[in-house]
Amino acid sequence: MDHPSSQTLEVHCGPSLGRTFIASIAVLIVGLAVLFMATGGGQSFTTETLRRQQVMAQPQRIGAFDVTDASGNRTTLNALLAGGENEGRNEGKQLWLVDFVYTRCQTVCSSLGSIYQQLQTQIEERGLQGKVGLLSISFDPAHDDAAALSAYASRMRMNPAIWQMATLSKWQDRQRLLDAFGIMVLPAPLGEFEHNAALHVMRSDGTLIKIMDYLAYETALDTAMAAAAATSSSDFSAAAKHDSIATQPGLHAAR
Amino acid sequence: MTDHSPAQLNKWLAAGCSAMAVAFSVPPVRRVIEQSMAWHMVFQMPLLVVGGWLSARALSACFSMRGWASFNQFGLTGFMAAQAIVAYWMLPSAIDRAVVMPSADALKLLTLFFTGMLLADAFRRAPGALQLFFMGYWVSMMAWLGMYFATTDLRLCNAYSLQSQRSTGWGLIALGIALGIVWAASLLRHKVRHTS
Repeated sequence: MDHPSSQTLEVHCGPSLGRTFIASIAVLIVGLAVLFMATGGGQSFTTETLRRQQVMAQPQRIGAFDVTDASGNRTTLNALLAGGENEGRNEGKQLWLVDFVYTRCQTVCSSLGSIYQQLQTQIEERGLQGKVGLLSISFDPAHDDAAALSAYASRMRMNPAIWQMATLSKWQDRQRLLDAFGIMVLPAPLGEFEHNAALHVMRSDGTLIKIMDYLAYETALDTAMAAAAATSSSDFSAAAKHDSIATQPGLHAAR
Repeated sequence: MTDHSPAQLNKWLAAGCSAMAVAFSVPPVRRVIEQSMAWHMVFQMPLLVVGGWLSARALSACFSMRGWASFNQFGLTGFMAAQAIVAYWMLPSAIDRAVVMPSADALKLLTLFFTGMLLADAFRRAPGALQLFFMGYWVSMMAWLGMYFATTDLRLCNAYSLQSQRSTGWGLIALGIALGIVWAASLLRHKVRHTS
């Protein structure tokens, strides 16, 4: 017994050991409760998974934003989602897969771009163009004007009946837009940006109902339609039921 | 007014460490922790704990922990509380919040400083075996988390780049190892002092 505290141990061993155990257990319970709440019930350790969990539990209405499309038409995000603009080609679309890009992007956006190309092909093959739309919103309005969008659209071989682009009409709205969707954009070397990328499922009424990992694009359409069916009484319920085999929970689970 | 007694020196050291740690949360130095996860997690956060620890040592003459002592035999309660606080600030979501929310950052300053105070007291009371239990846990947690940060391709903090996360991983591993060595050395020193 050579430790300096050994004397005090012997003196206080009686009632204070019991008190200490009670205090320690109280601290442990409080600590676990805080961690449990901070991680959304022990499931989400990152801001990204918390964001997805929150949207899933409570669909979010996205506010009003003035946007400009690749043809230079000025409209609002809600009007675009509701089926306006684009020479009537958006009419009847009830569901949108929205992602965020900047047209100068070379890294993650180009992989997102090729995923959107595959989604576009899926929509064409399954004849869903009347129901599901793809929308890429630029968060770099200072650089991305209508001309930049339309150059990007032809580079990505977008079919305008399915896949459209929009940029903010007012650059002042940028932070509000990013906050509304929970996107954080960091400046990166060579004028690039680094940002959390995902597929945002939105209903035509401007509600964000689900956020999916973009790597799960193979099942994204089915998952999105199932989410839409679950949150509203649209005619997606039939389609979702039909495709439910493809909707494996493990494939689109948030990490 | 030049007092070079060890007690006075400890006070200056404690104040210096704490002030430096807090300065990283105040503009313009704040930009450093906003841009670098490593400066945030491997430098500022541990420095806050060190500041709290040194302050508790320096001020131990000013306030007594007698009332609290009977609830903190062997420093067990202090260790548990420190454990909970440190675990919380290891969450990537908590780190993001500290970067974007000033209130969360203030909470970080307070709780980590407090953790240092708790640990200074706990280590004084704890026998070597209990110290080993908690130190072993923290060192392995840092090494494990560090390995994960350094190797994963998944960006865990929305506020930081993947590159920054990688350097943080290596930093955490180094910090864990350094912590283990410092603790072992101080325990050995105690043993030597008390046997001779």
